[in-house]
Amino acid sequence: MAADAVDRKKIVGAALAAPTFLFLLVFFLIPTGLLFVYSFWLAKSFALIPALSLDNYTRALSSWGFYALTLSGLKNGFWTAAFSVVLSFPAAYYIVYRTRGNLLFYIILVSWFSSYLVRIYAWRVILGSNGLINTTLIQLGLISQPLEILLFSPFATILTLVHIMLPFTLLLLVSSLRDVKAEYIEAAKDLGASQFEVFRKVILPMSYKGLVGAFMFTFVLAAGDYVTPQFLGGRDGMTTGIMISNQFRSSGNWPFGAAMAFLLLATFLVVYFLFVQLLNLLKLAPGRRFHD
Amino acid sequence: MLRAYIWIYVAFLYAPMAIITLFSFHSSPSLTFPFEGFSLRWYEKIFSDANFMHSLWNSVIVGAAAAAVTTVLGSLAALGLARMKGKTKAVFGLLAFAPVGLPGLFLGISLVILYAQIGLPRSLFTIVIAHVLFTIPFFIETMRSRVEYFDLGLEEAARDLGAGPLRTFWLVTLPIIAPTIAGAAILAFALSFDEFIITVFVSGNETTLPLLIWSMMRRAVSPDINAASVLSLSLSIGLILIGGLIVWYQRRKAIGSRA
Repeated sequence: MAADAVDRKKIVGAALAAPTFLFLLVFFLIPTGLLFVYSFWLAKSFALIPALSLDNYTRALSSWGFYALTLSGLKNGFWTAAFSVVLSFPAAYYIVYRTRGNLLFYIILVSWFSSYLVRIYAWRVILGSNGLINTTLIQLGLISQPLEILLFSPFATILTLVHIMLPFTLLLLVSSLRDVKAEYIEAAKDLGASQFEVFRKVILPMSYKGLVGAFMFTFVLAAGDYVTPQFLGGRDGMTTGIMISNQFRSSGNWPFGAAMAFLLLATFLVVYFLFVQLLNLLKLAPGRRFHD
Repeated sequence: MLRAYIWIYVAFLYAPMAIITLFSFHSSPSLTFPFEGFSLRWYEKIFSDANFMHSLWNSVIVGAAAAAVTTVLGSLAALGLARMKGKTKAVFGLLAFAPVGLPGLFLGISLVILYAQIGLPRSLFTIVIAHVLFTIPFFIETMRSRVEYFDLGLEEAARDLGAGPLRTFWLVTLPIIAPTIAGAAILAFALSFDEFIITVFVSGNETTLPLLIWSMMRRAVSPDINAASVLSLSLSIGLILIGGLIVWYQRRKAIGSRA
């Protein structure tokens, strides 16, 4: 192809992408920048005062409550991601290597696109003290008092978050397993590897990046979810996410909320870094040779 | 064993929805077994509720508008991505995916600040903007899987035969990618129809269906929430199935005509 044809193709490509780029600039990049600027402003009796102050950050970082709430959000994220990856992996494996069509995959994905609030509500109905589980257990005579621990607890929050995130985790796992061709697995088996060895020496190293990605994405989205813990977590279920959202709803303190949002983002980055380092340290990460 | 596992997995995903659906037809307000019989009373109650009908209508309008804007922007962006190379492609691809890599909370509060800063009052319009931001990444990802395999040579052939860029697009590019666009557009509508996390911040005094369901949920556990949830659920699942069928049928037709 002539050089000017290549140039023309590039220009056309950029021109086609320009409207979306503009949209994302105005409604994503600039707002994120504004949020950052706001985090240095001050709020005094419902008026916003432009400033360059670290007060919001120091206020959050000097309160023990902030650490406790952040930790509780991170816990939600961690357990949700751990369960989602472990539970979705066998399903992803089945979809990639044992099925031809994509029907099963679509059936699972449909559940993700359609029912965020309904699922939160459904678990409340199921777990409540007059809910399905408790009344069934009482009718069976297994318990005499309803189990209060089921609802308004970290258990309820994490169960529901796992239920919400499973299809999303599965989607990420399926796309990372698609990179591990079935031929490699066949070859390893022909060479005498056991099921476990195939998993540890072929699948795990080759899909490692995707696995870590699936875990981290699930972690961030679950740790940042403020609706589930608010509705099902009870009094101890408070998280930084809920606190940030409260600042932006009723007559809250926007700059303080903005500062907490950036602290939460920074925490996610730190967790990601530590997580990858830990995997390296424990020698769970494969060497470089798999990722050329 | 894996086969049994996958069916348990699917059952776990759908069981809560099935329970809600069952109890939406319950003749008594009780949400526990034993099941006392079927009735449509909760549906009658919901349909005669002006708030419900208004929110449903708002959700349909917002979903249609968001899907339309997303379709135009997203299709152009996906076609643009196919022509990009190297760093530009990587950076733009990342930017276009970023909005869903962050919790919706961040998008919601950033948009609220933007709207306040430029003095844009919150309305259905501001909800549509937020939903476009949320649906564009999914739209582009869906399109990419098709556009990456698109043979740009076909367009060049049309150009060599004397067709202008618009004619080429209309006669060659569009017919090939149209089914995928239709499927992705329906997906965008369904995502908008169900969106709650971001909408909370940008809705002002307007309600959409998820916002109404949320306000019902906060008041009390009451059986008409079941009916409202099931209606919203079946509408989006129905739409996604229709979208999937269109794509599947078009592809089959395309394969058939090639043979």
